[in-house]
Amino acid sequence: MRNHSIRWLVVLALVIFGMGVFTSTAPAKDIIFMDLSDYTGPVAGLALPGSMGTEDYLKYINNKGGVEGLKIKYMGIDTRYDVARAISAFKRQRRNKQVVAVGIVSTPVGKMMQALTKKEKLVVHVPGDGEFQAHPGNFFTWGPVYQDAFAATIDWIMDDWEKKGESGKPKVAVLSWDNAYGREMLRGGKEYAEMKGAQLLPSELFPTGTLKHDVYLTRLDKAGANYVYVGGVDPVQTNVMRDATALGLTEKIQFISDYWGPTALGISLHPKALEGMVVVSFFLRGQEAFDHPLLKELWTTVRKQPMDKFNEGYGIGVGAGINLVGAVTDTVKRVGKNKVTREEVHNSYLRLTGLDRQGLAGRCTYSPTRRAGADVVKFYKVTGGKIVPITDWVQTPDAVSMHKWK
Amino acid sequence: MTNFLQLLLLGLLEGGLYAMVAAAVVLVYKSTHVVSLAHGQLMAYGALAFWFALSVLKLPFILALVVALIFLAITGWFIERLAMRPLIGQPLFAAFLTTFAVFLMGDGIFQLILKGESNSFAKYLPGGMTSVIGVPLPTTQLVSFGVCLALFSGLAIFFRRTKFGLGMRATAEDHQLAQSTGITVRAIFSSIWILSAMVATIAGIALANVMDIYFPLPYVGIKGLIVALVGGLESLPGALLAGLILGILENISAGYLDPIVGGGVKEVAAYVLLLFILLVKPYGLLGLVRIERI
Amino acid sequence: MWRPCGVFDATYEKDMAIVRTSRHWIALIVSLVIFFFIPLYGSYYIVSFINTLAITIIAVLGLQIVSGYCGQISFGQAAFMALGGYTSAVLTQKFGLSFWVAMPLAGIFTGLYGLIGGAPSMRIKGFYLAIATIAIHFVTLWLLLHLEITGKSVGLTVDSPQIGSFVFDTDERMFYIIMPIMILMTYAARNLVRTRVGRAFVAVRDNDLAAQVMGINLYYYKLLAFFVSCFYAGIAGSLYAHLTMVCHPEQFTLLHALWYIGMLIVGGLGSIPGVFFGVVFIRVMDEIVLIASPYLADWFPWLGMAPAAGLGLTAFGVVLAVFLIKEPRGLAHRWEILKASSRLYPFAY
Repeated sequence: MRNHSIRWLVVLALVIFGMGVFTSTAPAKDIIFMDLSDYTGPVAGLALPGSMGTEDYLKYINNKGGVEGLKIKYMGIDTRYDVARAISAFKRQRRNKQVVAVGIVSTPVGKMMQALTKKEKLVVHVPGDGEFQAHPGNFFTWGPVYQDAFAATIDWIMDDWEKKGESGKPKVAVLSWDNAYGREMLRGGKEYAEMKGAQLLPSELFPTGTLKHDVYLTRLDKAGANYVYVGGVDPVQTNVMRDATALGLTEKIQFISDYWGPTALGISLHPKALEGMVVVSFFLRGQEAFDHPLLKELWTTVRKQPMDKFNEGYGIGVGAGINLVGAVTDTVKRVGKNKVTREEVHNSYLRLTGLDRQGLAGRCTYSPTRRAGADVVKFYKVTGGKIVPITDWVQTPDAVSMHKWK
Repeated sequence: MTNFLQLLLLGLLEGGLYAMVAAAVVLVYKSTHVVSLAHGQLMAYGALAFWFALSVLKLPFILALVVALIFLAITGWFIERLAMRPLIGQPLFAAFLTTFAVFLMGDGIFQLILKGESNSFAKYLPGGMTSVIGVPLPTTQLVSFGVCLALFSGLAIFFRRTKFGLGMRATAEDHQLAQSTGITVRAIFSSIWILSAMVATIAGIALANVMDIYFPLPYVGIKGLIVALVGGLESLPGALLAGLILGILENISAGYLDPIVGGGVKEVAAYVLLLFILLVKPYGLLGLVRIERI
Repeated sequence: MWRPCGVFDATYEKDMAIVRTSRHWIALIVSLVIFFFIPLYGSYYIVSFINTLAITIIAVLGLQIVSGYCGQISFGQAAFMALGGYTSAVLTQKFGLSFWVAMPLAGIFTGLYGLIGGAPSMRIKGFYLAIATIAIHFVTLWLLLHLEITGKSVGLTVDSPQIGSFVFDTDERMFYIIMPIMILMTYAARNLVRTRVGRAFVAVRDNDLAAQVMGINLYYYKLLAFFVSCFYAGIAGSLYAHLTMVCHPEQFTLLHALWYIGMLIVGGLGSIPGVFFGVVFIRVMDEIVLIASPYLADWFPWLGMAPAAGLGLTAFGVVLAVFLIKEPRGLAHRWEILKASSRLYPFAY
């Protein structure tokens, strides 16, 4: 028994030693982008392809020699939709000067990071909470914030309502997750909808991980909703539409998805159910994304996967990668490649206004007063099992400033 | 009123799904007195195996079902052989915690296989909606409910009429007594795990037909456990009754209470019901009251 | 009960002492001193890792008392921690109390809530109770998610504790708050379980009916166990909220409670050192999986891009099953065997 214990201890010691060797392999001159992402759990459908996109774009740049020789290493960490784990992973690298930017997907993790990095000028990529635009700090959203996209949707709804020749106010409802994300779009979005003359019904919020949505849908039906804005990360929209189709509501109600809505994958699972759903998006979807030369090149040569496994969420990550590389290029130009620090990269982010993202999304709009990554969205519609654009890029209204922020 | 009727019927159909998951738990408890958390996973794997057979192996429906059942029967046997058998004679609570370990292990592998995506039978099985007494209801759920009723009547016949079922009931009464009448208790234990894994497979397929194969699916197993506790752990009719009650309660309470308290009622209704039942009738609605001695 | 040759206990005090010989005292003091200077020489990562370890240890100590000693398995520890964290957050942020007042109050409040949480134990036991505590977990978190005062789904931001103008805003500084509390709590737990109360707990665990016949008030002791356990959870939650500076329902999920139970099983039910073994073993294992998984993903592409979550859970499940089947008394028991055999080396006994 004694021998067993000792053998066991030796193995453990070796493993811990191995850990130490593994963790110290980054060459000192590189800089690091640390991605705290959730590869499982409710937001995996978005986080996984998004992280792949950033990773591959950075690899692609590094293969071409980096930014004037400076390489940006991608460090992906699975936080498993667990706040504690994300924070512990961040703390592991907090004092590492090579880490110049951090990516975060889940909203609660973002909130904690805000408390943690209050005094630091460390760039943090986050999905789209308007809060960060309202209180500009070190948090940068990928695209337009949720409330701006919602406001653009309200515009689209008012147009559609008029086109249909209906009178009175359209009844609009939000059906989303019962968490900070699910309520975010109405902070400003509500004020905008009221100004535009749409009637907002009480929101229906359900916990993440809900599998059936019948109760919420029947209640919306009873309240007479004309338009339902569905939040959550796909397959949430797919599941909602599956239940709505089964209840026969898709005829009566126009469902519109938030920009984390169904991708080609979700549509391939439930082509009939998703038919007719409108998706507001700040990144390319459907055939447009599949045909995009950069995405195609990255997916097939860097990721080395066939195009039929492609997910449009990849484009979000590539867009974030372009921002990062753009900022680092700017920093290198300003201070030289040996003086790239967190603070300098942060300053460069504020100068990214107008950065071209190769048509993957609108032009970058980061500036000293703006933290939202873009100000245009596109509307898509699921028709015949395919997701096709129904508008060109549309300017998003500013809904954030309409909310009374604390 | 139609709204109430719709919520009621939808709840009833959903309750049938919970009842099926509970049935698997009840089966195991009936003959081994182990409360199993592992069946949440067995159910999810059943659905996954069926989906794999349908969409990847491109088998016809019946053959896919057989493949899934066989695969899960083997899995159930493995769990019994590797995890439960060594614990015979140990406190029952250790066996409960072992099923909990199996649940976690299974959950890990499930997530590895799923890779953050979701799968669906939608392309292979009929969808659409059917009108019942003027209320539109999803066809998938009606089909699943039919499966539930068939499953419960099948189990009832099995336990009443077959010799094997009788042996299982005898084993449930007293292991030693059963052994001395010539019943091989070990074989009964193995076969009950195999049988319950197959029941879980059918439950999983019926569930996934309605809810898709998505990462929270195994956690419906916890609801199945609650249903089994509410109904009484030994009682199959209790599982059916409690399942239907829970389904209806969830939908009705969420339908009417959500706007008042601000959402999320559907998720806690089951737990509130459980706490209430446990305080009033600790052994469930139709469970046997145990008298303990020192 | 093992001690070196030639050491005899001449007095009752000596027989009952936790630290027995002067060598023990020296070893204890030296290791404590080394331990307390970790923030000076250890990396930031090590310090923050030790902080989370220590907070987990406090929570699991509470769980050990109610589950390991009193036999009432509770899956509600994460929810109780959440309540402690929220209480502390509300008291400091909304009522302007200082952390030093809010933390004990959070412990006491959570303890009192534990009396409600433990109420089902009066009617039910075993897995019935275990599942009932799962129910309590969900109901508690639902309340925290829907009450106005707890900030609903947005959660609460929490300030760092401070003395005068000195703010404990880094992990190194929090280390000096968390560590003494952890040591104090361990000491308290170690002593509690060998008093009359602790013996009553063990009696309730081993056979509650027999305990009742012997004149032990079952309800009183079961509820007391829940109170103490939740007090620990409350303190741990409060420390955790002030360490991470945020209180959010998603910090305390059912999975956390399941991990705590797992740590208890691996460490050994009914042993205070077992808590340390269990927490450290499981946390280090999880950390290794987390660090190794990107490399595994490179080597075995079929595992998918990010196998950490799945692998971590699988490893945990396997370890748990192996311990339950092969070594139900946990690492604490192994430790005792190791101690005994090293003392007797090279003889077998």
